[in-house]
Amino acid sequence: MKKILLSVILSAPLWVFGQGFQVNLQGQKQIGMAGAGSALALDEASVFFNPGAVSFLEKNSISAGVNPLLFKSAFQRTGSNVTEDVKNKIAPPFEFYAVWGPKSNKWKLGLGVYTPFGGLVDWGDNWSGKYALTSLNLKAIYVQPTLSIKITDQIGIGAGFVYNHGDVNLQRALPVNYPDGRSGKVTLDGTGKGYGWNAGIYIKTLSDITFAIVHKSKVITKLEGGSAEFDVPNSLRTSFPAGNTFNAELPLPATTTLGIGIPLSKSTLLAFDASWVQWHIYQDLAFDYATNTSALADTKSARNYRDGSSFKLGINHQASDKLALRAGVGYAFTPVQNGYVTPEAPDADRYILSAGAGYSVTSKFEVNASFFFEDVKSRKQKNIETGLDGTFKTLVYAPGISLTYKW
Amino acid sequence: MVGASKMKKYILNSFLAAVILFAASCKPEIDAVAGTSAGQANFSKYIAVGNSLTSGFADGGLYLEGQKVAYPNLIAAQMTTVGGGSFTSPFFTDAQANGSGYLTLSALVNGTPTLTPVTNNLAVRDASGRLTKYTGEVQNLGIPGMRVDLAFAAPFGAANPYLERLLSDTQVGTVSYFQFIQGRNHTFFSLWLGNNDALGYATNGGVTTDATNVLTDKSTFALLYSNLVNTLTAGGQKGVVATIPDVTSIPYFNTVTVAALLNAAKAINPAAAAIYIQTGAGAVRTATAEDLIRLPFQSAGLFGVPNASGLPYGLHPLNPIANNWVLDKDEIARIKDYVLSYNSTIKSLADSKGLAIADTYTYLNQVKTGIVLQGVGINSAFITGGAFSLDGVHLTPRGNAVIANVFIDAINGKYGSNIPTVDITQYRGVKFPN
Repeated sequence: MKKILLSVILSAPLWVFGQGFQVNLQGQKQIGMAGAGSALALDEASVFFNPGAVSFLEKNSISAGVNPLLFKSAFQRTGSNVTEDVKNKIAPPFEFYAVWGPKSNKWKLGLGVYTPFGGLVDWGDNWSGKYALTSLNLKAIYVQPTLSIKITDQIGIGAGFVYNHGDVNLQRALPVNYPDGRSGKVTLDGTGKGYGWNAGIYIKTLSDITFAIVHKSKVITKLEGGSAEFDVPNSLRTSFPAGNTFNAELPLPATTTLGIGIPLSKSTLLAFDASWVQWHIYQDLAFDYATNTSALADTKSARNYRDGSSFKLGINHQASDKLALRAGVGYAFTPVQNGYVTPEAPDADRYILSAGAGYSVTSKFEVNASFFFEDVKSRKQKNIETGLDGTFKTLVYAPGISLTYKW
Repeated sequence: MVGASKMKKYILNSFLAAVILFAASCKPEIDAVAGTSAGQANFSKYIAVGNSLTSGFADGGLYLEGQKVAYPNLIAAQMTTVGGGSFTSPFFTDAQANGSGYLTLSALVNGTPTLTPVTNNLAVRDASGRLTKYTGEVQNLGIPGMRVDLAFAAPFGAANPYLERLLSDTQVGTVSYFQFIQGRNHTFFSLWLGNNDALGYATNGGVTTDATNVLTDKSTFALLYSNLVNTLTAGGQKGVVATIPDVTSIPYFNTVTVAALLNAAKAINPAAAAIYIQTGAGAVRTATAEDLIRLPFQSAGLFGVPNASGLPYGLHPLNPIANNWVLDKDEIARIKDYVLSYNSTIKSLADSKGLAIADTYTYLNQVKTGIVLQGVGINSAFITGGAFSLDGVHLTPRGNAVIANVFIDAINGKYGSNIPTVDITQYRGVKFPN
């Protein structure tokens, strides 16, 4: 009889990063061009897009921007006539860049602080997938000091070191009930850090067509000593001890991008980026609890991601000395295979549409704005691990604005 | 400059507000097909015929909370989107919400449960245990203890407090359940009856002492079940029938195992080598994993207690566990054979009448090994499995929701309807003490 609790079924608390958690918002001008621009020496955001292009920037500059993002996901359980929506919550992806180098010199220094991965999704405490997830708030903030060198008038190379600060808060309901009938709950909260690099080559041909090859390394982010708080009836407390902690590892994938920039006219630039996102590193997700009990074992959940990819085409048109207009389209292939889609990252292939504008208030001061929209295709799925069975559909809206000072 | 910063803040706030308004109006849409068609069925008046499972009996009793989440009530609620009408049940009043009384889990120490009966706010109207009468229309016709054979026995209406409660004084003892369910102008029915024709015998350890623990003869079952089906379909009504689960798929027979008893004995006396049982055939032998012991044995206070000769109960061939506590492997084989026969009767009758079949026999065998639905692991473990209530036989609200979907899927599959399925995550398992 003592073993009665051995069989408490608790599937692993879990989180995933899909394309859904890859945030394609790292430079206001590039956002307006659907995220293309690795082959353009457009502005200080090249620190992210292509460190090799930084040395081709004419001016020193500093900029900061924010792109309030609304991730609107809906779920309809298979067989149900009810559609459930996530709560309206605004995630704040931001970007800060600085580029400096002595004028007419061959090198430049850069610094980027940006949020390439993140997610904010809150399904509420009582939706039909609450035992898989109620909410996730994930932030990865990369800090990247960079050196870029113009080897010749045609070729620039650059590289940066990446430090990642990661924050995760994940909550889900537990299928054990209090005397009043309500469910238990688990909250996993932790911070972690990881390291990586970002390097690129920028080639400017004699015809002014530009090329880029950029590789951003994977960043394995280790979370240690995160808090694992189980809100369960007291009679189950010995199975879910208070003050427990967990360790976990978040593999953020490497991305290799090939870019091309084509000047259509003196005032119009076309940019195309093809990216290969190496999600295959995400094979499983393991949680190591400091205290294990018969009901709380360490978990290892299969994820089996394959590599994802994206294709982005953008245009930048200098309408006047002061005004630039931008637009872009893109398409991204999901790394999440059938059977592995979850409410944290209700991922599927997606369309990207964007528009943007820039205005030079003075020769030193510039304002850029963008609007970024993603239409994630509807996807009917039954998750292999949780049995969560239904259709997800997601739309993403992100308006943004940045301020730049150049000298 | 203060004004400028205020202005900036104002602009930023308006900007954010505009974005929220815009985005809130641009919700993702998912088209739903569920809830749009009754197919070839007419759900305007649904009646549910059955036993304790149909009534919402749980935790060893019939009480209001269980009645409200009985699987037919959950099905009826889902049917309203496809032409279903109101569905009436013989609910206990709020003042007598605890009905017959039931068990709660009052403590769980090192995994050992303590079950405590609820004895307040009962609907018991006299010392013999009869219940407060219910008058008025009833569509949930589930009667705890009802069997296929006893459905045709008028005197059972006097002996069974749950049926007695629904009959008028003149009907008691003169109207059988078979008569009671007739004349209700139904357009659709569910029929899940026959469980007790095998379970009554099984939960008494394979010992027959009265009419409630007889193993119903196979051909009697076939004859009477066809009478029920013929009556329910007399007006051409469509409906769903359910098969009878394997009695060994429930926690009642899988919690107190021979191995667990032996381990408990060894903890006290390492020399303990075997558990001894008395079989249905009267022999005494060593118990094996193929013999099942009834759940209440854990709290019966018998195990290991020495008799007058000093021989510990269950641990010596001269003081074995009595036949009525044990379903030995021969008894199990016999019951399984009967249940298979009952189910083949049910299925062939359903097929001949064009009725939907909710195959709870197959489904609960899957639950026994464990399933995962909407992030909830469900199995037939006692207390922690989530599907079975504290009596080890009847369903929790979560178990009722899961079974309701088995019925709904069967109905939709047969009649081309699309009754929406129940969101099982809205229903609880066992309540754990806080």
